[in-house]
Amino acid sequence: MTRATKAWAMLLALSAASTVFAASGLTGPALALPILMLAGLKAHVILRDYLGLSVAPGWLRGFDLGLALLIITFAGLALAD
Amino acid sequence: MSDPELPFYVPQISSGGVPTVSPPVQETGGMGGEAPPAGSAGRNQLPGELLMWVLILSELAVFGAGLLAFLAVRLTDPTGFAEAQSHLHRTGAAANTLVLVTSGWLAALATRAAEAGESRRLRLLLAAAIGFGAVFLILKGTEYADLFAQGIGTESHAFYTFSFLLTGFHAAHVLAGMILLALVGWLATPKAVETGAAFWHMVDLVWVLLFPVVYLL
Repeated sequence: MTRATKAWAMLLALSAASTVFAASGLTGPALALPILMLAGLKAHVILRDYLGLSVAPGWLRGFDLGLALLIITFAGLALAD
Repeated sequence: MSDPELPFYVPQISSGGVPTVSPPVQETGGMGGEAPPAGSAGRNQLPGELLMWVLILSELAVFGAGLLAFLAVRLTDPTGFAEAQSHLHRTGAAANTLVLVTSGWLAALATRAAEAGESRRLRLLLAAAIGFGAVFLILKGTEYADLFAQGIGTESHAFYTFSFLLTGFHAAHVLAGMILLALVGWLATPKAVETGAAFWHMVDLVWVLLFPVVYLL
């Protein structure tokens, strides 16, 4: 199985997990935090395996850091109301 | 003496003191490819076209700012935003996530086929990726048509102003990506396919961040 195919399977699994949380009836932090964390994981897989940053771990860490800051800010705003 | 600009031919000194040249190492570290061996040359260099990475960063910044603004404005009317969100097609949008990640997978496979010189296979894979892009736009168009039929437009509520702007701008990128994939499929060179696929993955990347914020939170 190629790296791209493994990534695709991982993305399908993460999307299925997001659907389970979205359909669970959970609200507030119990919904927002796992949903945003799963989105961050999907973004990481796309960067690492589809966009090929697995060959540039320093760049991958930089993108991960930026994404983590963005998602933490999303979470802060989403849970502030 | 070793030339640092030629990393795939590594002169070595044998036990007898005679310089020898090792065989070339196959490079497999491009976008959608396998990771090179640890310590190989080019590690920590961005794969593909630098300008495409500038575009990827720019798009992430634009959509990230848009989503932050969306969430900030939501603080002024959380009830109104929740009510407005209930009119969106969540199931269709979730399906569109599967559609886009599958399309991205096909584009990644096309990159590998291009590196292997398999022109026919890469064109078939890109055609399938474009087909999934069309499915995405059809589902998105169905949602828009339904909202318009309910009398909902960009002016109906701040939620719709942002959601139409963000999802519409993203859909425009999907359309542009489909055209780009068709173009690089016609060119069928590894570099062109890699660049086109990178744009397509960027569209995918933006969607996985946009979808939960606009549709689920």
